[in-house]
Amino acid sequence: MAGFRIQKEKLPGGVVLVGVKGFLDAHTFEQLEREFNTLFDAGSFRLIVDLSGLDYISSAGAGVFIEAIGTAQENEGNIVLIRPGPNVKEVFDLLGLSQIFTFKDTQDEAVKSLARTQV
Amino acid sequence: MSGSVKDRLTISNDTRHLLALRDFTSRAARQGPLSAEDVHKIVLAIDEAVTNIIEHGYNKGESGSIDVEAEWEGDRFQVVIRDSARVFNPESIPAPDMAEHVKAGRKKGLGLFLMRQIMDEVRYRYKDGVQNELTLVKYSRSKV
Repeated sequence: MAGFRIQKEKLPGGVVLVGVKGFLDAHTFEQLEREFNTLFDAGSFRLIVDLSGLDYISSAGAGVFIEAIGTAQENEGNIVLIRPGPNVKEVFDLLGLSQIFTFKDTQDEAVKSLARTQV
Repeated sequence: MSGSVKDRLTISNDTRHLLALRDFTSRAARQGPLSAEDVHKIVLAIDEAVTNIIEHGYNKGESGSIDVEAEWEGDRFQVVIRDSARVFNPESIPAPDMAEHVKAGRKKGLGLFLMRQIMDEVRYRYKDGVQNELTLVKYSRSKV
């Protein structure tokens, strides 16, 4: 059954890689919201989110990222997004979020970008 | 294109039906001369419209249905969404300042913004016996 799945991997330097797959909409967004909150509660504020497996995102899903980036940045972290498909990137563009979020092509570039923002 | 092709879907007010709604919209939109990119955007706009009805129209625990009708007329793709939820006129909601919206970390109101960005027309009317009727139109501009 089509749905939404999340995978997590701890990377060196306290960075967490979050892989999301499937459909992120009003039915599934709370799963990602809970996952981000769990990470924030554990003190992880530097996140890379791999969007390559994400087939679809609606504003409910984008809203989770809007809320989460605020919390991450308030805690000297950030959320870097990697490898969105064209349909997913388009939603970020339409909402004007592409200027707010950092997009990178690879995990290595994202790690470097987070290292630069580290205080 | 000539003639008209009409498709209809009725779902209950539950977000688990959004996937079926998106499949329905995609199939209907692809019957006309739209690019894959435009089809994706229309699917998104209709998802946003129905999500708003499910989340804001009906009360929690209240069961209701949402009727979606999609139709091509020449170069005009029209989707009409009817529900019996509380009266909600999206035309009465001003367009948000997205930069401010995002800065404040606000998650809500984005759906309406997307609907207006994507569709050429978004019209609401209250109709006796139906309640809310939202019409969203996209022109294929194939003649341009």
